[in-house]
Amino acid sequence: MSRDSNNFKALPSEVLAQKARVEILRMTSVSKASHVASSLSVVDVLSVLYSGIADISPKTVSAIERDIIILSKGHAAAALYSVLALKEFFDADWLNAYCSDGAQLGGHVTSRNVPGVELSTGSLGHGLPYGLGIALSRKRSNSKGNVYVVMSDGECDEGTTWESALIANHYKLNNLNVIIDRNRIQSLDFTESTIALEPLARKWESFGWEVIEVDGHSHKLLSKSLEIPSLKPKCIIANTTKGKGVDFMENSVLWHYKSPNESELNDAISQVEST
Amino acid sequence: MRDTFMETLLLNARKNPEIIFVTGDLGFGVVEDFQKVLPNQFINAGVSEQAMMGMAAGIASTGKRVFVYSIGNFPTMRCLEQIRNDVCLMNNSVVIVSVGAGYSYGSQGYTHHALEDIAVMRALPNMNVYVPSDSIEARHITEHLCTGKAPSYLRLGRSGEPDITKFSSNLKSNKIIDIRDGKDGTILFVGPIGVRVLAAEEMLRNIGISVSVASVPFVTELDLLYLKDAVKKGPIVTVEEHSFRGGFGSIILETLNSLNLNCKVKVVAAKQVNLSEIGSQTYLQNQNGLDEISIFNAVKACLVD
Repeated sequence: MSRDSNNFKALPSEVLAQKARVEILRMTSVSKASHVASSLSVVDVLSVLYSGIADISPKTVSAIERDIIILSKGHAAAALYSVLALKEFFDADWLNAYCSDGAQLGGHVTSRNVPGVELSTGSLGHGLPYGLGIALSRKRSNSKGNVYVVMSDGECDEGTTWESALIANHYKLNNLNVIIDRNRIQSLDFTESTIALEPLARKWESFGWEVIEVDGHSHKLLSKSLEIPSLKPKCIIANTTKGKGVDFMENSVLWHYKSPNESELNDAISQVEST
Repeated sequence: MRDTFMETLLLNARKNPEIIFVTGDLGFGVVEDFQKVLPNQFINAGVSEQAMMGMAAGIASTGKRVFVYSIGNFPTMRCLEQIRNDVCLMNNSVVIVSVGAGYSYGSQGYTHHALEDIAVMRALPNMNVYVPSDSIEARHITEHLCTGKAPSYLRLGRSGEPDITKFSSNLKSNKIIDIRDGKDGTILFVGPIGVRVLAAEEMLRNIGISVSVASVPFVTELDLLYLKDAVKKGPIVTVEEHSFRGGFGSIILETLNSLNLNCKVKVVAAKQVNLSEIGSQTYLQNQNGLDEISIFNAVKACLVD
């Protein structure tokens, strides 16, 4: 599948996600970088957000009242960069140099000189407080524009997550949306074997948030849940599969770190393209 | 100093709605006027310094100038990575204000002493560090910060410090502020410890030693010409209510070195022998080698050796 054969701007989000998955696999394979599985689990969420749910496009990257998307799980940089490149926020050639010397794009999300990226991330637990600040400032100045913070479930270990959950509820920030990529695997093990998060939805609810649990790979359900109006800050728990779309990467701790070699890459791409 | 800061900030914030004040649930008896007059520019983030600092950076990213207020180490050490990544890396327009420099909260114990903050904050890229010595400097620097954009750290004493400098309306941002003019050497200091430096200067004068004394509020933007002239005069003694490790004395030593300037330098800083010691600010200054006699001896040693 060649990425320069079409005009991708009007791509359905499912096709965008499929093409992004191929890019993610190529990028992590060529660069031998980690976090391919984290990128595959979140790419549907990002594809939905950038396909019309969030009011942001290459033309509006600097618009004052644009919707803000923050990828707080900055290690899934390959997913965000693929989606942004396919949506023509920047030149798709940048993906080829991912993680190489002098490249625009590195292994964790960087905002400097990368159109469409709002915040450099990589240390977990930073995206939500930052997004909270933007949402609060906008609320105070009656400014439009929603804020979407995409987090990992492992980030729910961070104290700032719950500090922010308290503050967002207190200030009734219904312009703030959190989407948790609930793939149930963190760095060394499954989340429930590490520091148990369940009952996660009830935790967020008890902090005063509107909580919706949804299949995090269903574009239709993700879109629907994001579009439901809420008087409270909203938390969408997107139930996902780590490594989604490649059978040998799915639900495996190993692929948090490993990058595909050439034969694994070919196998993985053919699996993604056949779906 | 603290009250002067708040008054000056409020005056500026009334004129400029882009100025936002965020407190980490501290400032009883200090912040209420601001809250009452400008509720829409006031935010209490609660006792959550890390979320507060990330949030402040986010607010700043919407075009605001955000002042984050707390005491001691709470707005620096507790949220250091938020400052590093969300403020400095993103170059957001946040001013971190800490009240209670050095041993200001002496009897409250080491958790409330701010003795490593200059070193830590100056290590961060894009961060400017300001240490006023009295309310006159505090007012001037607050004015300067209200119109600025850069990430900044303002280290304030507490309250009741005597004024030792004179306000000059055309104070340049890198100005080193002369308080005494002498010919044998120079004492450079930061913060309200200047009162004790002046006492030491008087003791030196009484035995016939004449030194210049100057306050250095713009810690990360030094006036290099001033330093070149000071070196011609004689030794330099630095004084700070802060650790020896990486603070103001280190800044002067590094700067002289980078300029290839040679002179005797002695750093007078907190010895921190017993971290658990309790007592008043003056008592803890005395116990940690920040008294007049220690400053006097440091200058004398430079001139006699």
